[in-house]
Amino acid sequence: MALIPIIRGLVFAAIGFAVGGGLAALIAGLAAPASAGAGAEPIIALGYLLALVGWLLGVGLWDAWAREWFGLPLKQAEVPGWRRYFRFTTDHKVIGVQYLVTFLVVFLLAGLLSVLLRLELMAPGQTVMGPNEFNSVMGLHGIMMVAVAVAAIIGGFANFVLPLLIGAEDVAFPRVNALSYWVVPPVAVLLLASPLAGGFDTGWTAYPPLSVTNATGQLLFLLAFITFGLSSILGGLNFLATVITLRAPGMTWGRLPIFVWSVFSAAIISLTATQVVALALITVVLDRVVGMSFYNAGQGGAPLLYQHLFWFYSHPAVYIMILPGFGLALEVLTHFSRKPLFAYKWVVGGFLGIVGLSFIVWAHHLFTSGMPDELHIPFMILTELISVPTGLVFLSALGTIWMGRLWLNTPMLFALAFVFNFLIGGITGIFLADVPTDIHLQDTYFVVAHFHYTIMGGEVFAIFAGLYYWFPKITGRMFNEKLGQIHFWWMFAAYNATFLAMFWVGLQGMNRRVADYPAPLAGGNLLVSILSFILALSFLVFIYNVVRSWARGPRAAANPWRARTLEWQTSSPPPLENFHQPPRVLEHPYDYGVPGSVHATAGVAEGHAR
Amino acid sequence: MNQRPNGVALVIAWAVLTAAGVALALSVGLFPSPASKEARIIDGAMTLLTVLAVPIFAMVVVLLLYSALRFRQRGEPAEDGPPIRGNLKLELTWVLVTLVLVLVLAWYGTAGLLEIRHHTAEAAEGQLVVQVHSSQWSWEYTYPAYGIRTKEELRLPVGRPVRFEITAADVIHSFWVPAFRTKIDAVPGMTTVVYATPDRVGSFQEDYHFRVQCAELCGLGHGVMVTPVVVVEPSQFEAWAAQQSGRTR
Repeated sequence: MALIPIIRGLVFAAIGFAVGGGLAALIAGLAAPASAGAGAEPIIALGYLLALVGWLLGVGLWDAWAREWFGLPLKQAEVPGWRRYFRFTTDHKVIGVQYLVTFLVVFLLAGLLSVLLRLELMAPGQTVMGPNEFNSVMGLHGIMMVAVAVAAIIGGFANFVLPLLIGAEDVAFPRVNALSYWVVPPVAVLLLASPLAGGFDTGWTAYPPLSVTNATGQLLFLLAFITFGLSSILGGLNFLATVITLRAPGMTWGRLPIFVWSVFSAAIISLTATQVVALALITVVLDRVVGMSFYNAGQGGAPLLYQHLFWFYSHPAVYIMILPGFGLALEVLTHFSRKPLFAYKWVVGGFLGIVGLSFIVWAHHLFTSGMPDELHIPFMILTELISVPTGLVFLSALGTIWMGRLWLNTPMLFALAFVFNFLIGGITGIFLADVPTDIHLQDTYFVVAHFHYTIMGGEVFAIFAGLYYWFPKITGRMFNEKLGQIHFWWMFAAYNATFLAMFWVGLQGMNRRVADYPAPLAGGNLLVSILSFILALSFLVFIYNVVRSWARGPRAAANPWRARTLEWQTSSPPPLENFHQPPRVLEHPYDYGVPGSVHATAGVAEGHAR
Repeated sequence: MNQRPNGVALVIAWAVLTAAGVALALSVGLFPSPASKEARIIDGAMTLLTVLAVPIFAMVVVLLLYSALRFRQRGEPAEDGPPIRGNLKLELTWVLVTLVLVLVLAWYGTAGLLEIRHHTAEAAEGQLVVQVHSSQWSWEYTYPAYGIRTKEELRLPVGRPVRFEITAADVIHSFWVPAFRTKIDAVPGMTTVVYATPDRVGSFQEDYHFRVQCAELCGLGHGVMVTPVVVVEPSQFEAWAAQQSGRTR
């Protein structure tokens, strides 16, 4: 019974694919009758477009939304218990859990793919897979992790927690919110189907002309990426509207929790820059499917154009990933230091400064691309300038823990590790912003280690801080603290060992995205591989802890951390309407140590269990 | 927990960590042994950035570790910390210092780039032109002055500036010689140019950094799109060139 909407979605998708594919075949036949069956790609592209529409209508868009366009009554049955997680539902808390669980699974799968990559790289020469499999596995690992990095915090935590933090009942557009989640399963299907269609050997960056001329697996990748972009654009729009319009009485801009500010900043980029990458990807699809020549140099196209468009999104995109990570880490640091967030307004200014600068640094990805020489110096300086607003995040983190009353439990340990890891990520970024050193380091494992330090060491550590911090609120149960600490120390040590070794291998001339390498690099690669396996095993502790605690952990109180912000002033988990009484915001969220100060009231007193 | 933080201990820890880090960075060769004039400029930049980065890294780590150890509570804190919301002097200083550091970095980066470029302009006389043509998945080297075309190896004389003119037949590749620290993409539809002046003899057999390696993912054979580089004395190069051009004709 629970799966009926999903089955109906699949049936509608099949019908949509048949109609779209048939239409494409018909058009192709009419346009060039001589070459009937000229290629499968137009059929796949148009078929997929209608299949996507069919899937969305079938899974719930028709019942919960589109019926009213035709004057029909909506059908929205409230389903209890676990079944609601398989439904097109508009409750932001359900959607948040859908996102979190989906992207945790994607994270673990993509992690397994990296284990495969490290197995191949344990020794030079071809060992466990061929070069085409390697390229496809590497590209899949990349795009899946990029999706996790973009969607896990904004789709997961921001969905669950942001409306609570600002005292709202839901997001501004609850049905758009459901839509942005339910376009994600087709993305997964396309990516998993891609290896069956020859895979894609361009990595997640999909540079043409290679991405125009290679196997059909590339088309599936491009369609997946565009669809995921749609989800990201809609999500950005929704969170901007939510923060602007749905703040509770008294929740002024100056009292917004820092996590809300960070999501708001990231949402600006998500809404705007993503449209540019969609454009870039669509032009590649047009080159492939209908033979246009945006990137065919022989017919007046320009391969370099794509790189500018791609990075015009994909550099700001790293701030879609890391800004909410900053916000989350600072949120945890201040609550577990029991001190006000240091330099709150400066950090907000820093976030907005990062948003502004993030749009004008993209060409630092093109220092060795053959781009005109005179562009190097301005892009180098603009890139280095980003360390000024980013430095404010460090000032705030250090100022907050200084003289605090630190509670070193699992979420706090992950937040502190975030500061350490991102410090290494930030400092090594300087070597890549500097053109002379970048000429050598570009496309080596130094770059790989650097962005893993920012995104995995930074954002993923922040995600784990958030998972442990909000676990009681989301599930209504406590996790096992001892297992949490074991997970933290294991992951922290193995993570740093793996990626510090990777910097060294990169400096020694190991270039990225290769299945084979010169024999003298064997020792370093073997070391990185073994360390990475130890890192991978640390997640088993986490999985065990989550599954066991969610099923049988002790019931969580409304506010087990005695935190001031609004999500803790309601029961764990919160009721459908979020708060038992309409929340009222009275003072700043982080005024720890100020006698008698209360941030907000919402009807549940301190320590009041459900 | 009412004692004041120990500022002297912090400064000492920072100084010791900084000194140790700088000593380590200077004693361990961060990069493989350089083999061109350009490589020495780039390695100088690498050392400079490392020396600048170590004290910043050390400062944050010392503050982080000190706070985590010094201010931690046993279990759940019984009281709140002092309500310090900020410190205008510190905030302004922090922004100014980071801004100055960025300007220093920008200055050295610009100077390094101009040095490489200036060196390039000087190299215009007496230079050896090598046309590098890339395709899936091989490199082809043409020496127009000698009428040589080869896919076997990139052979160069020591001490003479080389102008590489790089083209691509099919997809984007990237011309990278780790020992020279030169890297530039080969892009269909355009010719990219990069210079290197080899300044010591060497070969792939002795040092694997003497290799042309494709550095832009170009499909199936990307990882093995490698040819050896050999740098020899000018007289040996001329002898090789005479022999090769005889064979080509």
